[in-house]
Amino acid sequence: MSDAIPILEVRDLEGGYGSSRVLRDISFTVAPGEILVIVGRSGCGKSTLLRYMVGLSRPWAGSVLFEGSDIWSDSGRVLSSARRRWGVLFQSGALLASLTLLENVMLPLSEFRDLSPAVLRLAAFRKLDMVGLADFAASYPLEISGGMQKRAGLARALALDPDMVFFDEPSAGLDPVTSAELDQLVCSINRTLGTTMVIVTHELPSILAISDRVIMLDSSSQGIIAQGRVEQLKEHSDLRVHAFFHRLPQGQANDVA
Amino acid sequence: MTTDESISVEGSVLTVRGLLRAASVGALTEALSRIARGGGVVVDLSACDGMETAAAAAVFDAIRRARNTTSVEVRGASSELLQVWEMFGLRAKALESVGRPRSLRTHFEGVGADVLTAWDVVAGLLSFSRQSLEAMGRTLRYPASLRLSLALYYMEQAGVKAVPIIGVLCWLLGTVLGYQSGYQLKTFGAEIFMPDLVGYMVTWEIGPLLAAILVAGRSSSAFAAEIGTMKVRQEVDALEVMGFDVFQFLVIPKLIALILVMPVLVLIADFFGLLGGLLIGGWYLDMPASVYMSRLHLVMLPLDFYWGMLKGLVFALIIATVGCFTGTRVRGGASEVGEATTTAVVTAVFLVIVADALISLVYVRIRPGVIM
Ligand SMILES: Nc1ncnc2c1ncn2[C@@H]1O[C@H](COP(=O)(O)OP(=O)(O)O)[C@@H](O)[C@H]1O
Ligand SMILES: [Mg+2]
Repeated sequence: MSDAIPILEVRDLEGGYGSSRVLRDISFTVAPGEILVIVGRSGCGKSTLLRYMVGLSRPWAGSVLFEGSDIWSDSGRVLSSARRRWGVLFQSGALLASLTLLENVMLPLSEFRDLSPAVLRLAAFRKLDMVGLADFAASYPLEISGGMQKRAGLARALALDPDMVFFDEPSAGLDPVTSAELDQLVCSINRTLGTTMVIVTHELPSILAISDRVIMLDSSSQGIIAQGRVEQLKEHSDLRVHAFFHRLPQGQANDVA
Repeated sequence: MTTDESISVEGSVLTVRGLLRAASVGALTEALSRIARGGGVVVDLSACDGMETAAAAAVFDAIRRARNTTSVEVRGASSELLQVWEMFGLRAKALESVGRPRSLRTHFEGVGADVLTAWDVVAGLLSFSRQSLEAMGRTLRYPASLRLSLALYYMEQAGVKAVPIIGVLCWLLGTVLGYQSGYQLKTFGAEIFMPDLVGYMVTWEIGPLLAAILVAGRSSSAFAAEIGTMKVRQEVDALEVMGFDVFQFLVIPKLIALILVMPVLVLIADFFGLLGGLLIGGWYLDMPASVYMSRLHLVMLPLDFYWGMLKGLVFALIIATVGCFTGTRVRGGASEVGEATTTAVVTAVFLVIVADALISLVYVRIRPGVIM
């Protein structure tokens, strides 16, 4: 299992916005079926890394490989076939405001699955039910709260039962109970469907509950400062890692360590 | 990992093994309906490891269809799958109508709702105008509270940058007016009156109206988009909770900027319109520029120009108010901002023309006659 070929690999990636570099020398792999959590303080480039991983922007240097092939090779064909096997949940939910929740979830289904509308509706509804929005199928995104929009976004990301799902801060803005339920949901999907998950989050309880492996980014080094299992990172000698996993202000971490 | 699914048929028993994916569920539903034609069916799922959700929905649908004609027995389904199917059974009916294209009846209901909204809008616009006039009063009493740099910015955006387009279009229209009236007057040998017609039409109507329509098109949409976007991103709420006077901050600078630039734009429009008449007079009617000018001098009053500038002032109020008001009505997302810009332009142009008609009616009554 641990020696399996990675489903996704990031190799020597470098990137940023305009002329300001945000990330450099990023290399890591994602094994099939694992839950990889990317952590780091706000503004360190987690969302940016995720954008590169899902092919929304092209890295300045380095590559992103999906099942061994560069997603930018073969004039975009690798990327577009990979996208059918991915689900992505954006930080804000990113639902289409002109469609009901059910239609939002049906969107990828009707694009990529050759099934009758009635069947698609049931499948989409099942996903909404999974995230606890069964009673809001006919609502529009603007009529529900931010946390609910996020859950609906999750339902849409899961619509195609993808092999791999990317989440950008799935539990931000959710109450602790819903957040815990979401964690449970993520774990159960991971176990039953074997879905690989890449999750960006700040929430320590979430990280403890769901992660198989953690990667920590930091803006001071524009890259990965630690990776491993949570237990290992909690004992990590780097002060920045220590401060993060013990919820300390960075200054105080100096005193403790 | 899990092996891919296989579907096998033995007599009336359909067996599914492995993980059933949505992409290949078509084979299963086809087989199912084929066997169902021959009588009762047994679907054996005891070797099935699981289903993608879309596959579960498709199988549910296929079984439901088959049950219309014959009996279907399901064996070995996991309790989880049965739960999902039970939910499908309960909800399938209700889901049919979610997000369907609107029927005629709901369209009619829509019209009724639109009328109510229209009334809402008018009431809202009136109360918004009152509020912005009050804010204007506050600004006049405490001029220091005016955000001068913002006002200057909008004067540049709405005024200075509009000069080229207004100039070109008014010059073209002045030319056309001169040509058209010259063409008519020529029949009577009365070309000498061409400057009268061009002068009146340009200063009374075309100048102010064209300037206003162009400013409405450029700026009331821009105002609506700006405020609408700020509302969507909760920036307006943020200003409000921080204790800002939102009118002072968002509306007044725009209003003042337009009030100051519109009369000037009208004068510029007049100038280019009259210039168009002058040029076409020379080219088409062989009228020397000096004749055109002295004729204008004879029949036009300074009041004609002032009145046009007054119109511009009123139009400025309308355009700024409508633009800002439409922006503040944005509630939802980005698509509503787009709608707001369209609404702002259409409403502003409409109200400008209505106001123009009213003001013109007054003017023909009060303007002192000219001795020929
Ligand atoms: N669209 C953008 N244009 C320019 N800079 C950006 C943009 N988005 C993010 N950044 C910058 O890149 C850095 C990383 O941002 P981001 O990846 O969003 O951080 P995180 O998701 O970890 O909080 C930040 O310093 C941010 O200012
Ligand atoms: Mg982020």
